[in-house]
Formats: sequence, structure tokens, C-alpha cells
Amino acid sequence: MTPNTLLWPILLPAIVAVIAFLIPTRVKWFREAICLGASAALIYLAFALFAVKNLEFRLPWMGQGIGFELRLFHFSAFILVGLAGFLFLITLYSTVKMSGHPRIREYYAYVFLTAALANGAVLADNFVPFVFFWEGLLVTLYGLITLGRKEANRTAVKAFIINGLCDFCMILGIGILWAQTGTLTISQISVKPEGLAVVAFLMMMIGAIGKAGAMPFHTWIPDAAIDAPVTFMAFMPAAFEKLLGIYLLARITLDLFKLEKGSGLSLVLMIIGAATIVLAVMMALIQKDFKRLLSYHAVSQVGYMILGIGTAVPIGIVGGLFHMINHAMYKCGLFLSAGSVEYRTGTTELKKLGGLAKVMPFTAAGFTVCALAISGVWPLNGFVSKEMIFHGAIESGYVIFAIAAWVGAIFTFASFLKAGHSVFFGPRSEESPAAVKPIKESPAPIVIPILILALLCITFGVANKLPLTTFIQPILEGHVEAGESIDFTPHALSLFTPIAGISILCLLLAFGLHAFGWKKGGKKAYLASEPVHKFPVLHTIYDWAENRVFDLYEQGVIVLNGLAMVLFKGIDRPIDFVYEKIITKTGEAFAGVLSKAHTGHYANYLAWCLGGLVAIAALINALLK
Amino acid sequence: MNIETITLLTVFVPIVGSFTIPLVGLASKSARSAWAIALGAVTAALPLLLIPTALAGGETILRKAFVLGLDFVLIIDPLSIFMAIVSSFVGFLIIIYSIGYIHHEENQNEYYLLVVLFIGSMMGLVFSGNLIFLYLFWEIIAICCWRLIGFYRLKEHVRKADKAFLVTFFGAVVMLLGFIQIYSKTGSFDLTTMRGAVIPGSAVLLILFGMFSKSATVPLHTWLPDAGVAPTTVTALLHAAVLVKIGVYAYARIFLYTFPLPGAWPKVIPIVVVVSSLVAAAAATVETDFKRILAYSTVSQIGYIFLGFSMANEAGITGSLLFILMHGLAKAGLFLCAGIVIHATHKRDIREMGGLIKTMPITGVAFLLCSFSVIGIPPFGGFFSKFLVIMGTVKAGQVGIAAVALFTALLTMFYLLKVFSLVFLGEAKSPAPEGTRSMVSVVGLLAFLSLVAGIFVAYPTKIVQAATTHIMWWLK
Repeated sequence: MTPNTLLWPILLPAIVAVIAFLIPTRVKWFREAICLGASAALIYLAFALFAVKNLEFRLPWMGQGIGFELRLFHFSAFILVGLAGFLFLITLYSTVKMSGHPRIREYYAYVFLTAALANGAVLADNFVPFVFFWEGLLVTLYGLITLGRKEANRTAVKAFIINGLCDFCMILGIGILWAQTGTLTISQISVKPEGLAVVAFLMMMIGAIGKAGAMPFHTWIPDAAIDAPVTFMAFMPAAFEKLLGIYLLARITLDLFKLEKGSGLSLVLMIIGAATIVLAVMMALIQKDFKRLLSYHAVSQVGYMILGIGTAVPIGIVGGLFHMINHAMYKCGLFLSAGSVEYRTGTTELKKLGGLAKVMPFTAAGFTVCALAISGVWPLNGFVSKEMIFHGAIESGYVIFAIAAWVGAIFTFASFLKAGHSVFFGPRSEESPAAVKPIKESPAPIVIPILILALLCITFGVANKLPLTTFIQPILEGHVEAGESIDFTPHALSLFTPIAGISILCLLLAFGLHAFGWKKGGKKAYLASEPVHKFPVLHTIYDWAENRVFDLYEQGVIVLNGLAMVLFKGIDRPIDFVYEKIITKTGEAFAGVLSKAHTGHYANYLAWCLGGLVAIAALINALLK
Repeated sequence: MNIETITLLTVFVPIVGSFTIPLVGLASKSARSAWAIALGAVTAALPLLLIPTALAGGETILRKAFVLGLDFVLIIDPLSIFMAIVSSFVGFLIIIYSIGYIHHEENQNEYYLLVVLFIGSMMGLVFSGNLIFLYLFWEIIAICCWRLIGFYRLKEHVRKADKAFLVTFFGAVVMLLGFIQIYSKTGSFDLTTMRGAVIPGSAVLLILFGMFSKSATVPLHTWLPDAGVAPTTVTALLHAAVLVKIGVYAYARIFLYTFPLPGAWPKVIPIVVVVSSLVAAAAATVETDFKRILAYSTVSQIGYIFLGFSMANEAGITGSLLFILMHGLAKAGLFLCAGIVIHATHKRDIREMGGLIKTMPITGVAFLLCSFSVIGIPPFGGFFSKFLVIMGTVKAGQVGIAAVALFTALLTMFYLLKVFSLVFLGEAKSPAPEGTRSMVSVVGLLAFLSLVAGIFVAYPTKIVQAATTHIMWWLK
């Protein structure tokens, strides 16, 4: 394989995007066939590259150390495989779910452009191409969200601006790094986070966790869950953005800066992680819409990854990275099953659904497996990665973060019990569309991706040795002290440890919570979270949250508008006032005085001339001296 | 043709040719339009022949001796060639667009004469190596500008034109005083002979006054939003191709190529321009008039160009030079899109528009793409220029200023997306048809070029790199 091969993961999807855009809307199946074929080819290419592992492509580009540099190594090859896999599943799913969309050309173009840019960002070994690809994702993000409901533009702008803010922070961080190290080649940079480098670290961290959707940069995701197409949710916030954001975070903490256990920065990351877990899951619990509920979990789960990586202990980092790929699989599966429900019933409101397990058995089975996996039930993949993160948190010396993670686990399971109970099990709602027309299972292209993802969740749990040793653990090679083991597979599924015990206790608590709420809500599953929702104090906070008091964007827009008004009224208008009023008035007054001097009297003019002569003589005199 | 002949033709074909336009106009209207386009095309094509010279990196100086230090000097180097290519090309596109936009107005002979003279004087200014000739072309442009802003001859419009003329003219005269002060120190107006000479801080202040007034930098900027009363083609010409880039170009020519900045100036200028950038972005956020928003946006972007130059390092200068190109393409696109919208709806307040993307899809998409470029989103060209300016600022150790510049970029994102949403999306309040073919194809081309300039950024960068290397050599 030549270095030029590295261009293909970028060029191939980009070319497919252009082709998909050019094929007229009325042509059926041809576009889908090309996209499906190309994404299958990308999977093959990704695995081929994964087998090669080390490859570099360098081309001079803009001088000053700005080269078009790509580098393939274990970590980037692994992410490429993941991205290609999700692209294929989403494309397959979209062939049915998105068919007949009036802007179908744009949809496939954006999806494949996203893939091209994401692959480029992962492969880039120079910050300029990296930012080029990374920030380019803003365009496709905006485009994909606008494909949803009619009102989706507002959310699209919100997503664009929040992500833009994070990207700009990252650019500042990159600039500082450049000034400090003198190079833009990523693989050559390794600095100690001291002095200004701390600022660089924090700024780049915002770029990474913002892409991954951590708090407080998450607020567009729940909005997008309602406004954007569900395939977008499964594609970007569930899979691609997690892989990219956590990839960058891991690169920052492992390669660019050496994050040390117990350091202040490690603490910052763990606090963000823990806060994201707890706050987002609390919001998820009370949601009344299936997709919105899932979207808050997409935020909450990022917290686990950030917490794991922030511990800066090997088991925590491995757990965080494993959680990244696990989360992408089950959350993608969950969104796709929500999409399957939407496809057949036309709604995702929990109140209107119920008892779908009988008519949609495959979707229900896929959902159940993914929901149990995200809740961390033994022996699924979520259990393995969450246990590792709990271990890491305890090893880092701050038990409080482990407790936060366990609290998150309780409410995660509780909210999925509520969601599953309301949608698939329990009695059928009278408002359900199912009461009007018979509902059947979704077609194969929708069901197959869900089942594949569910199967992967089981495989990655039961046979966790395979993904951990092939994909995850080698990432840490060279980053741990000599002699320290990075093989955590032997005890991954042990049930009889104190930590596993607490986790299981959490699940039982969650079950109790759900049962209590269900009984209290008159055996209506969608009301099961009401006891928590109505809890004193919490209730007020929930109300604020619903009114977007904690929304960075909504508050930020108020600040931006206010600041703009202050600058406009305080600086710009006064300056214009000077031109419009003061200067013109002074000019008129001055001209008035002069015109009055013109009386027409001969003697007056003579006096002016004399005075002028004297002045000129004085000037010449002064100059001659 | 040798280099000197090409350069002389670039300057004098449009200047002399412009005066023949009314003569042709006497004979036939369509012949006059064709003749104006031909002159624009020749002016745009000639500098392209100089690209090999620019890439080779050297400079050629053309000198016709004259009395009193008033030698006619032309400097042909990568910087002037780059600038000439960008201005003449954007100017040419605007002439094509004018055919559709202006065809039912009166005084078209005068219009085309002034526009071509405008572009020709810009060519003269760009190549001038003598401060007095620089000033002369500077003022010819001001006069063209004055007539063009007040083109519709309404009372209010003429007043705004006067305001623009008075502010820029006053600035230019102050700058002339600065030139005279330099003359008293060095005994010359010839830039090529004065390289490296130390000039007093007061001269810098006087000259900066002229540059800031022409390039509409706070606090000398308010004439530019007011100049939006002009026909949109003229506004685009002022904002994108010619007028506001003059000050920036003169800065590069005088303070980077020729004189080192004395005293605290290298510290003060970045603060002034970044504040200008921020205030203008804030004003753009508040305004609701379509063209005033875009005008403030120009003031804001000009701040970035000055910022990059004032850093006097490689990344900053490369970024600023690319900025001139990228901003020229994208801002011309934005204004011409606004022109199509205003032309069709007869409204200027963005709150009264809406849903136009359904009836004018090409204009809508072109507006969005050009917005992305102005905001600085890859893969559009504007990304590279803004990114490099900010990287240059950070590299010069000015992290705080870079942070303000990034905040300004965020504001830019905010108001441009707001404009797009209000004008093109949502409910259709006053549906209107798409513009004429020549208008739509020009905005489409500008949007497309913004994208191409980003993807194939390596090509313009080659010329820019040659100029930067040249400047860096002089700075050392």
C-alpha cells in the first residue's frame, strides 16, 4: 500500500457525495445503491488500512510548516473502522427511512461529506488540515439538521454556533501550542501543561468535549432530537461526534499534553465528566418524548467517557475509550429503533405508544438489548466499560466521582425502564395510532442495522477480550510506565467484586424506583418518573431547565445581543453623532461668522488684506530665522 | 510584451478607455455596455500575464524621471500584482452584473465611465511607487466614489455621498501632510529609495488617519454604512473590490515594505483595529437594514486584515493577503445577493423579508455559501485567511487580542446566520422572482469561487507566499 492510499478514505466519500447530489431527485434506488456500495467499500478500505497500521502521507501545502500531512497509526485506523461501520449501517437504514424525502440529494451528499471530513480529521497529522476537516463538519451539521422539520433551522443555527464556539476555542489553543512548540505537525508535539500551555490545554479540551456533546455544550442535541431527522441523530450525536470528540480528547491527554494522575487538569476533566453524567441523566429521566429522552442519554454517557479519560489511570482511559465505541453502538441502535417506531406509528411521544413488542418484535428485541447495554447490565458491553470507569475513578483517589457515576447508572436504568415499558411493553395507549391502523414490523433495511448493533453489544460484552486487545488496549502502548500491565480483560466480567456489587445494587434501586413511580402514576409507565420530577426543590430546578435558564446558547444570545447593543449605542452611534451633528453644526456656525464678515464695505476688505500681509511677513520671517 | 508594457497597459487602458465610454454610448447603448465589459475584461486579463513574474518573486521598478521628486514610479512585485489581479477580477464581475442591475436607470454613460475609471485608478494606485501619485489616484477614486454613491441623485443620497467624500477626503489630506513630513525628512517621495528610513511617529499618525478613513476603521467608519444608499453594484465595488482595500494595501506598501513602525505603534495598532472589528460586528448585529449589516460586516473584516499586517510575521501577513482575495470574492457575493433581493422585493429591512429561498434558490444558496466564507468556515476560502491571521496574532504573543478576534468571528457567525434565516427562510412575506441571468450567474460564480479558493488554496497561496517572503526579507 502506498502513502497515496491514505487519500482514499477522504476522496471516496467526497466523490460519492458529489455524485449523490448530482443524480436527479426522481431517480430511485440508483443513488442508494451507489452510496451503499461506497460505504461497503469504505469498510473494506478501513480494515485494510487497519491491517497496515503505519502509513504517512506528506505534501507541502502553504509553507511555514503548514503541510497536508496525514498519518495512519493504530488509534486513527481504529476510528476509521468505526466511522466506516456506522456510515454503512446508517446508509442501509436511510434507504428506507429517508426515501421520498424532498431533499434526498442533499441528505446523501451531507452524510458522505461528513464521512469524508471526519476521516480527514482523524487522519490529519498537521493542525491546519485538521482544523480544515474538523471545522468543515459545521457545514454538514447545519445542512443535515435543516433537513428535518420546518422549524429545524433555529436548531441548526444553534448547533452551528455552539459548535463554532468550541471550534474557535480549539483554534486559540492550537495557536498557543504553535507559538510554544514552533511546529504544527501533531505527532511532533508533546508539552507539559504548565503556564500558557494550561490555557492551550483547556481551549483544546473545549473543542473536544464540545464536539462530543458534553455539558454545557450539549443544549442543541435535545432540540435536534425533535427537529432533525432521526437518522441524523443516530449518525452524528450518537456515533460520529462521539468518536471524533473522544478521539481528540484522548489525543490531547495522551499525546499533546501529558495529563498526570491527580493533577489539577485531571480534576477539571473528572468534574466536567461527573457533572455531565448526573445532570444530563436527571434531565433524561423526566422526558416525555422517546427521541428527546435518548438524546439526553447521548449527553450523559459522554460524561462517563470524559470521566474515564480524565482519571489519567490506564484502566480508566481504556474504560473511557471502550465506552466510546460501546456507546456509539448502543446509542445508534437505540435511535434507530426509535426511528423504526416513528416509521410505523408516526410518533415518538411516550404517552401515545405502548405494547409495540408484539407487533414489532425485532425492533423491540434490538431496543431491549441496547437499553440493557447502556444501563450496564451484565454481561453486555456497557457493563464492561462502566466497571472499568468505576475502577479508574476509585483508583484516581476521588471516590466522589465513582459515586456520581453510580448515581448516573441508577437513573439511566430507571429512565430506560420507563421508555421500554411505555413504548414496547405495557398496554397500548388509547391515543396510540396503533388503535386506528394495524402496525407491523419495519422493513428489513431498518431492522437489520438495529439487530447488527444489538448483536455487537452482546459480542463486545461477552467476548470483550476481542475488541479490547485488538482495538482499545494497544492505544495505550507507550503511554504507561514500563512493566505496568494494560491488559484488563481477565476480570472484565467478574461479578463478585465490591464495585460490581455496588453497580448491581444500583440497578436494583433503579428497578425499585421505576416500580414505585409506575404504581404511583396509576400504572402508567410514562408517568413513572413523576415522583422524581415532582420532588420538592428538584421540581423548581426542572422548571428552570425546561425554560432554558441553564441553556448556554439561549443565555449567550441574550448576552451577545445586549453586548452588541451596548457597543452600538455606546461607541458607534456617538461617533456618528459627531460627524452628523457636531461637525456639520460647527461648520455651519463657522461659515455663518465668515459670511457676516463679508459686508461689502471696501474698508473692511482692505483691513483683511493688510492683516493677511502682516501674517505672511511674520511667517516668512519666522521661517528665515 | 515585456513586464513594463503590460503594467502600463493595465493602468492606462481602463483610465483612458473610460473616457471613450460616453462617446460609444452616443452611438448605441448595447455597444457601450459591451465596450465597458471589454475594458473590464482587458483590465482583468492583463495582470494575469504577470503571474509568472510574481511567482519568480523579484521586483521590477519602472521609472520616468520628472522634476521636484515627482518621478513616475511603478513597483511591479508580487504584492502589487496580487492586489491588481484581485481588484480587477472582482471589478470585472461587478461590471457584468451591472448590465442586468442598472439597465433601466438614467445616466448609464456616466455610470460606466466612473466604474471603469474607478478600477483603472485602483490599478494605478496599486502599482504606484511614488507617494504623490499614490495620493493622486487615491483622490481620483474618491471623486468617482462620490458621484457613484449619490448616483440616484435623491437629496438624502447626495448628502450621504458628501459625507463619504468629506471624511475620506479629509483623511487623505491629513495623510498628504504625513507624506510632506516624510519628504522633509528624506527629501523624496519615491518609496523605492526610502526603504528602511526612520520616520517620526507623528507622520505615522497622519498617514494612518488617511488609511483608516479610507478603509473605514472605527472611529472613521460611519460613512461606509451610510454609503449603502448607492446602487448595490457600487456598494459591492466599494466594499469588495476597490475602495476599502486601498487603505489596507497602502498599509502593507508603506509600513511593511518601506518604513519600520517607530515607538509604540506596533502595540497600539492591533488594539485599535481589533476594537474596530468588534464594534462593527456589534453594530451589524443590531442593524436591520440589509445593506447596512453587510457594510458593518466589511468594517469588521477590514479589522482582521489590518490585524494580520500589524503582526508583521509570516502567518499574519499571508493571512491578511489571502483575506483581501477571499473577502473580495465573498463580500462581493453577499452584496450582489442583497442587490438581487432588494431589486426584487423593493425592501431593505430584513424583518420584512422571509422565505425567499423558495423563489430565488440560487441567490439564497450563494448567500449562504458566501456567508460561510466570510465567517471563516472551511472548506471555504475565508477559513484560511481568518485562521492564519489569528494564528499569526497568537504567534506574536497577543493571545488576548486573538481571543477578541475569535469572539468577533463568533458574532459574525451569529449575525450572518440571522440575516440568512430572516431573509431566505421562514414564512414568505413578500415573494419575489429570481434576478436576471447575468446577475444570478455572477453571484453563483462568486459563491463557487469562494469554495474553489478554499479547496485549492495552495494556488493563490503561491503568489501570496512570494509576496510574504519578499516583505519578510524587507522587515529583516
